[in-house]
Amino acid sequence: MSALDAATVASVEPATPLPTLAPDALDGDSREWLRCLRAEGTTRDDALARLHGLLLRAARFEVARRRPSLPHLRGDELDDIATQAADDALMSVLRRLDDFRGASRFTTWVYKFALLEAAVKLRQRAWQGREVPLEPEGWGLFSSSELEPDAEAEQSELVATLQIAIAEVLTPHQRRVLVALALNGVPIDVLAERLNTNRGALYKTLHDARRKLRRHLDECGLALDDWLKER
Amino acid sequence: MERPDLKQALGRLLGPAEPEVGCDACFAQLDRYVELELAGEDADGAIPGLRAHLDGCPACREEHDSLRALVGGEQAL
Repeated sequence: MSALDAATVASVEPATPLPTLAPDALDGDSREWLRCLRAEGTTRDDALARLHGLLLRAARFEVARRRPSLPHLRGDELDDIATQAADDALMSVLRRLDDFRGASRFTTWVYKFALLEAAVKLRQRAWQGREVPLEPEGWGLFSSSELEPDAEAEQSELVATLQIAIAEVLTPHQRRVLVALALNGVPIDVLAERLNTNRGALYKTLHDARRKLRRHLDECGLALDDWLKER
Repeated sequence: MERPDLKQALGRLLGPAEPEVGCDACFAQLDRYVELELAGEDADGAIPGLRAHLDGCPACREEHDSLRALVGGEQAL
């Protein structure tokens, strides 16, 4: 299954529909890509090889960007990941070829599949063998050792209210997802794999939990926007 | 007093206040959004809710940043 599955992913808010373009609205290069990929014989085979080359280039680009955060992985392991990402992206692109509407150039459209596949694989590889923390570990970020007593008390009250809200307002599933993703910094694709779900479904849960928390804190009289913008 | 760590941690916990698209809608529109950005056009006006999603979803934001860097780098050649 690809990292994002359109059939099972729920939107938080409806997105603006993609513009529908007539075939002649495509730029020349994009039209040529589609023509070759829908052809038969050597024309298609050549186009597939060129497409795989593009996807591999994008996947290696993503690997290179993330390499500093993956010092324990050898070069050949990273190149294997890039190749697997390009292979999987090729399948996704071919499966969704009819979804391409020409809202961007064809090359930009295909790059995003390779970048997604590479990023997901690298996040999962980085967490391979590590336990995913589902209990709160990240409250340290909410404290500061250099505050005046008044500010420290104010901050302690905020943190206590947040902790109570998370414990009492959210469902167990919402709590688990919010704590793992937003407090403990677990990558969403890693949690999706462990919980046997997908990114879109998890983000919907996170979004609902965040909305509940905001509403509750608002009802408690905490001016959150002041904390988020002015301080 | 400025407390950037607290602000960042709160932002990560509570997410964007504005309406946002989900991850699948973000992925569907990401290529168009990036090309509009690189062309200096009003990407946020054309695709409402996508910027808020990038603010709330670190994974989608990383992929946006990569696509923008990759395509922007090619255009600069």
